[in-house]
Amino acid sequence: MSTGNDIVALTMMDGDRTSRYRFYSRILSPAELPLYDELADGGLSFSSFVWLMWSIKESVYKYVSRSDRRLVFTPLKIPVSGLRAREDYCEGEIPYGGLTIYSRSFLSDEAIMTVVSEEKEFSDSRWGLQVIGDLGYNNQSDQVRTFALQSLSTVLPGAALRIVKAPDGPPEVWDGDCPLDIPLSLAHHGRYVAWSYRLPANSSS
Amino acid sequence: MERRAILDELKKVLYPYTEDKNGLENIDENTNLVKDLKINSANLVDIIIDAEAKYNIEIDFDSAEKIVTVGDCINAIAEKIN
Repeated sequence: MSTGNDIVALTMMDGDRTSRYRFYSRILSPAELPLYDELADGGLSFSSFVWLMWSIKESVYKYVSRSDRRLVFTPLKIPVSGLRAREDYCEGEIPYGGLTIYSRSFLSDEAIMTVVSEEKEFSDSRWGLQVIGDLGYNNQSDQVRTFALQSLSTVLPGAALRIVKAPDGPPEVWDGDCPLDIPLSLAHHGRYVAWSYRLPANSSS
Repeated sequence: MERRAILDELKKVLYPYTEDKNGLENIDENTNLVKDLKINSANLVDIIIDAEAKYNIEIDFDSAEKIVTVGDCINAIAEKIN
């Protein structure tokens, strides 16, 4: 059981540079380029498509690296095979390492947030996004933890929840001195902080 | 070109993308770009392309995907210019 998420602040990215072959060819494989056709009719710019694909791939990397800490993020080795615009989000399908991982991406003119899961309906996943004022790294890091804990506290009211982060590991959710089986993923970029987690097996939420 | 000289030039490439600009002065080959310098992973492609432009080289995909530390960056550049 895992989770993975990512946020890209489009306002911080150079759209012209992103749209150049030399740039996007390090993220997209030739086989993935036709996926743009599915979304271009909805008005998505090509540079936003590139960052959409990046956010999906980074989310998948976070998802699978939880069980393989030696993994290095290589976008071209994470193939997105299906992409479809739904009413409120864009869904994708990623076959990776014997798994089928599904993505949901939420797009605006300013940011793209993605969350991934092996569970197609995302019924046991929770995620969120907040806009913050101070763009400093430490504030981003503090704020995303605060918001994630606020969300987690609604699932586990009364627990002494805290987030523990080993230097080379993913963030962990602890209740006091006890680690919980709740995979958590955190992301921040520019004014945006985002989190996702999987509900514990015995949760009724 | 000496690795030390590449490191000094690399600091200029990394500067715009580095959150911890003071920490940039103390980097060494073991410095992790994302974890130590707080570079957003979304800027890693920018760094590769800026390094390519600075040295008029092309860093191939195999070399690029190994770039995690400052030393990996230097390896990728040194491989092309030496």
